[in-house]
Amino acid sequence: MNPLRVSAADEKHIRITGIPPVLVFCLRDLPHILEKRDQPDAHSRLFPAPTRNDMKANHDWEQLIVPELRHLFVTSGETVARDLAKLEEESMETHSCCVTFAAVHLNAWISAINEARLILGELNSVTEQDMNQEDLDLDDPKQFAILKIGALGWLLQLLVTVAGGPAGEPR
Amino acid sequence: MAVPTQPGVIQIDETATKESLATPWNVVVHNDPINLMTYVTMVFQRVFGYPREKAERHMLEVHQRGRSIVWSGGREQAEHYVHQLQSYQLLTTMEKS
Repeated sequence: MNPLRVSAADEKHIRITGIPPVLVFCLRDLPHILEKRDQPDAHSRLFPAPTRNDMKANHDWEQLIVPELRHLFVTSGETVARDLAKLEEESMETHSCCVTFAAVHLNAWISAINEARLILGELNSVTEQDMNQEDLDLDDPKQFAILKIGALGWLLQLLVTVAGGPAGEPR
Repeated sequence: MAVPTQPGVIQIDETATKESLATPWNVVVHNDPINLMTYVTMVFQRVFGYPREKAERHMLEVHQRGRSIVWSGGREQAEHYVHQLQSYQLLTTMEKS
């Protein structure tokens, strides 16, 4: 089986190969996860108040900054959803898939996958201890969410490596 | 604090204003169980231009102590950094030093 790999297809494109079925499932679920960003727990995690007790500053933030941040996250999710439409099977034997997308979309991929992980974590009250669990009961919704967080984290780690820290595309 | 003196004139308490402007603000990143360590390090490098070692030091402080003051300075700039860090989905707040 080909290992999961993120690499430059050419100067302007990035290619993800060896995407195993479990990760394909998580990626196809990504747009549905991101739609939950406005549920109260997810919202307060993604758009926290900037101060503990300056109510005026917090109110202004909610009115002026949160819509801008939300727009940024929505746009990233839409970009990735469009790219995911090009997901194709690469091996009939292993059912692994691959996808190629524009290199300028890399930050959108990083943002959308990170956001999805945070939403899953928040909506399922996932703790640090939960994240260290090894045997997961996939009939349990919380443990299934942990599996998705882990699978998406595996890809995120590779995307961050390709982004190369500060040398990556500016936002 | 603004003190009215005569119609149309507002006297500004200069000392209070200067103190308010001079008080540094801390930008604080809080721990969460989901964000990857490499991701947090990358964000500190991008937002502040910190070298990898310094970015990793702050990341580890967040992870081990629950929070790290990643920058201190004027309020306006602190707000800018909170905005930047929240755009990367890091749990970030600001507080008076």
